[in-house]
Amino acid sequence: MNRLGAAPLLLLWALPLLAPLAMLLPAALDGEAWRMALAHPQLWPALALSLGAGAVSTLGALALTLTLLAGLYRSRVWDSLQALAASGLAIPHLAFAIGFGFLVMPSGLLARLFIGGEAPPQWVSVQDPWGLTLSLALALKELPFLLTAGLALLSRGDAALQLRQACRAAASLGHAPGSAFLRVVLPPLLKDLCWPLIIVFVYGATVVDMALVLGPTQPPALAVVIWHALNDVDPAMNGMGLAMVLLLTAALALVLGVVALLLRRARDPLHRRLAAGPSPLSAPRGLAVLLGAAALLILLLAMAVLVILSFAPRWPYPALLPPVADGAAWMKMTAAPLWVSLTLSLTAAATAVALAVLWFETQAPARDSWVNGLALLALALPQLASAGGQYKLFLPLGLTGTVFGLFLAHLTPVAAYVLIVLAGPYRAFDGRYVAAARALSVSRIRALLTVKLPLLKAPLLTAAAIGFAVSIAQYVPAQLIAAGRFSTLPMEAVTLAAGGNRALTAAFALALATPPLLAFLAAAMLGRPRWR
Amino acid sequence: MPLTLTRRGFASLVALTPFLSTAHAEESWAGIEKQAKGQTVYFNAWAGSPQVNDYIAWAAGELNARHGITLEHVKLTDTAEAVRRVRDEVKAGKDGSAGLIWINGQNFHVMKEEQLLFGPFAWDLPNFALVDTDGKPTTLVDFAEGTEGLESPWGMAQLTFFADGAKLPAPPMSMMELLDLARDEPGRIAYPAPPDFHGATFVKQALAETIADRALLPLAIDKDDFREATQPLFAFLDQLHPYLWREGKQFPLTQAQVTQMLSDGELLMGLTFNPNEAANLVSSGTLPATTIAWQNRGGTIGNTHFVAIPVNAKAKAAAQVVANFLLSPEAQARKADLKVWGDPTVLDMDRLTPGQRALFTGGDAPGAVKDPARTIPEPHGSWVPLIEAAWLERYGA
Repeated sequence: MNRLGAAPLLLLWALPLLAPLAMLLPAALDGEAWRMALAHPQLWPALALSLGAGAVSTLGALALTLTLLAGLYRSRVWDSLQALAASGLAIPHLAFAIGFGFLVMPSGLLARLFIGGEAPPQWVSVQDPWGLTLSLALALKELPFLLTAGLALLSRGDAALQLRQACRAAASLGHAPGSAFLRVVLPPLLKDLCWPLIIVFVYGATVVDMALVLGPTQPPALAVVIWHALNDVDPAMNGMGLAMVLLLTAALALVLGVVALLLRRARDPLHRRLAAGPSPLSAPRGLAVLLGAAALLILLLAMAVLVILSFAPRWPYPALLPPVADGAAWMKMTAAPLWVSLTLSLTAAATAVALAVLWFETQAPARDSWVNGLALLALALPQLASAGGQYKLFLPLGLTGTVFGLFLAHLTPVAAYVLIVLAGPYRAFDGRYVAAARALSVSRIRALLTVKLPLLKAPLLTAAAIGFAVSIAQYVPAQLIAAGRFSTLPMEAVTLAAGGNRALTAAFALALATPPLLAFLAAAMLGRPRWR
Repeated sequence: MPLTLTRRGFASLVALTPFLSTAHAEESWAGIEKQAKGQTVYFNAWAGSPQVNDYIAWAAGELNARHGITLEHVKLTDTAEAVRRVRDEVKAGKDGSAGLIWINGQNFHVMKEEQLLFGPFAWDLPNFALVDTDGKPTTLVDFAEGTEGLESPWGMAQLTFFADGAKLPAPPMSMMELLDLARDEPGRIAYPAPPDFHGATFVKQALAETIADRALLPLAIDKDDFREATQPLFAFLDQLHPYLWREGKQFPLTQAQVTQMLSDGELLMGLTFNPNEAANLVSSGTLPATTIAWQNRGGTIGNTHFVAIPVNAKAKAAAQVVANFLLSPEAQARKADLKVWGDPTVLDMDRLTPGQRALFTGGDAPGAVKDPARTIPEPHGSWVPLIEAAWLERYGA
C-alpha cells in the first residue's frame, strides 16, 4: 500500500472541500446568527418538512427498487432494465419536476384529461402543505439512481456469476425464486445500496430546485429557506443561513445515526428469520411489472410533456394540446456554452474516476468510511455554502475567474458522487482474480489494467457517467467561482429559468438532459459483460 | 431641500475633494471616451428574460461599433450575487470582476452604505441632461434613498396588474375592489409570498391604500409606530387571504409563477413591475390578445432601475460610456419598444429633438395600459424589513 497514492485525492478534492468549510465555521457559530435562525418562524416546520420529504422519498424509492429487482431478476426484461434506468438517471431533477408538475397540477394534463370544465379544479396537488407531491416526485426520480446502483452490483463481472450460481444452488435446495432472492441476492445488494440510499435521503432533504417547483411555500423546505438566506445581500442573513446549514446537517447526521443504530439492533433477529429454511415465496413479478410500467409511464409522460411545453408559448386549460406552437425557445440556444460544459464535465468526470481508482488501489478499505463521510458532507451541504466558502479560499489565491478554479469547484461534488458510487463495487471485487494473475507473474499494474479494471468496467463507466451528469448540471461554481466569465449550459439555463418562462425552461432542461442521457446510454452499452 | 441643489452641491464637492475626484472625473468626456476604447465591461445583469438579454446583446454590438468597447453580459439570477462578489473582492483587495451592475433598491442601499460604488459619475454623463428628473423624481431617489449620482437611471417601473379581458371585463381598480372580486371568485387570485420582490410590492400597495396617513410612508419608521400604522393593512390581508388561491395558506413563489398560472387559466390576474410586460407577453404569445392591463385608480407603487459601477471596477471609463449610451434617446427608444423589451424610458420627451422623439414609436398595443395612474413612491427603506418580518410571522407557517 502506497500512502502517497492518497495525495492527489486529498490535494485536489479533500483540501478544497475542507478548508473552505473551516473558513465558514466562525460565521456559522456566530451567536447573532443562531439567535436569528432560532427566531425564524419557519425554522422547525421547515426542518420537519425537509426530513419528512427525505425519509418518505427514500423509503418509497427503496421499496420500488427492491420490488423491481426482486420481481424482474433474471427475467426477460432484465437486460433492458439497465438502459431504462440509465435513461431515467439522465433526466435532470429540475426537468422532471417541471414535467411531473404539469401532469398533476390543477391545470395539468390529468385534470384536462379527466376533469375538464371551464376552469381548473382546485386541487391541492403541487405545493401541498405536507410535501407529498415533492416526495413522490423525488422517489420516482431517485428510482433510476437506486436501480443503477443495484444493477451495478448484479451485473458486475465477478459478482453476477457468483450470485447466479448461488441462486441455482438455492433453487436446488428448494427455494422458490422469491425466497432465493431474499436470502442470496438481497443481503449483498442492501450492503451495496447503503451509501446510495444515504445519498438519496440527504439529497431529498436538501434539494432546492425540485422543492421550489413542487414543494409548499408556507413553510417551504428548510433548504429553500437556507437558499434564500444565503442569497441575501445582507451578511447577517447569510450568517443565519449558515447557522441553519449547520442545524440541518446535524439533524441529518442524527437521523442517519439513529437509523444505523436501529438497523444494528434489528440485524440479528432479521438474520435468524432469513436463515430459516426454504420457502415457496415467489418473486413479485406481477407487482414489479405493474409498478415498473407505471413508473416508466410517468417518466415518459413527464418528458413528453416537457417536449410539448418547450414548443408552447401558451397552453391554457382545458386544451389537450397547445393552441399554437413555435420554436422560439429553442432558437435561444447557442453552441458555445455547450462546448464549455462538455469539455469541463468530461475532464472533471475522468479526473474523479482516476482519483477514486488511485485511492482504492493504494489505501486500505478501512479508510473508505472516512472518505465516504467527507463525500457525503460535500453532497449534504448546500452548494451556496460550500462553493461560497471555496470562493473565499480561492479569491486571495487568484483562482477566481480561472478555468482551474472552476474545474476544482466542479470536482468537489463530482468526485464525491464517484467515490460513493464506486466504493461498494470496487471493494467487493473478488481479489482472487488479481491474485491468480499475479501468480502467473503478471505485474501489478498490468493485472490492474488487464484483469481488474475490465471486470469492473460496468461500475467504472456508470460512476463516470454519474460524475459527468453531476458536473454538467452545476450552476453555482460557474456563477460564483468563475464570476460568470465562462458561460456554461446551466448558466444559460438557470438564469433564464429565473424569469419563469416555461417554454424556455423546458427547452433548456431538455438540452441539459441530452449529454448525460448519451453518457448513461454509452455507459450501459459499453459496460455490458462481454460474454453475454 | 430641492434635489437639484443637492446635485449641484455634490458636483462642487466632486471638484473640490481630491479623494472623490479620481483621475477620470477631472477629464473631459472626450477623454473618458478615448480611454474607454478597447476596454471590456462585464455587465452583471439579471438575465431571466430573453428580451432583456437580446437588448443587452444589441447594445453590446452598438458599443463595439461606435466606441470600441466590449460589453460582456454576465448573466445573473439575482443581483445580490454580484453585490456579494464585489464586497468580498474589495475586502480581499482584489480587482473587480464586475464592471457595471444593473441595480436598485436594497442592493443599491447596501453598496452605497458599504462604499462599494464608484462615483458620483451619473450626473456628469452627457445624456443625463435628458433625464426627466422633475416628472420622474425616482430617477434621483431610489427607494427613498438619494442616488447622489452613484447610479445612472436606466428604466422606469410601476406596479401594474393584468388579466384576460375576456374572463375579467371589469378589473378591480383598487385593493377594496380586489377584495370584492376575490369574494366572488374564491381561489382565483394570488400574489407571490414576500420577500419575493413583487409579493412585497403587492403588500406595500395594500399598505399605501389602507394606511390612515400616507405621509408616514417616505419617513423612517420604528417597530411601535409600524405596528400601529399597519393595523389596517393586516386587517385587510386577514380579510383577503381566505378568498385567495389555496385559501391564502400557500402562495406562489414568484411573479413568474403567477403569470404562468394566469396563462394556464388557474388564476384570474397577474402582476408586474413593467407596465408593458403584458403587452410584451401578448406579442410573444404567452398571453392571449384579449389581455388587458391596468393600474389602480389612486396610483400604484413605482420606482426606477439603474446601472452602477463598483468601486473596484477595472474599466471605469468604459463603464461610464456604456451608462451614457444606455441613456441615449436611441437606446432608450429601442428599450421602450414593445416588440423589443417595453421598458419605459427615463427621458423627458420635452428635452428631446423632434427627430429623437420620433424614435419613440410607442402606441396602443394589445395588453398595454390604457389609463396610466400616478406613481406612488416606494416607502422608506426601513418599512421593508418590518413588512417582510410581520408578514412572515403572520402567514409564513
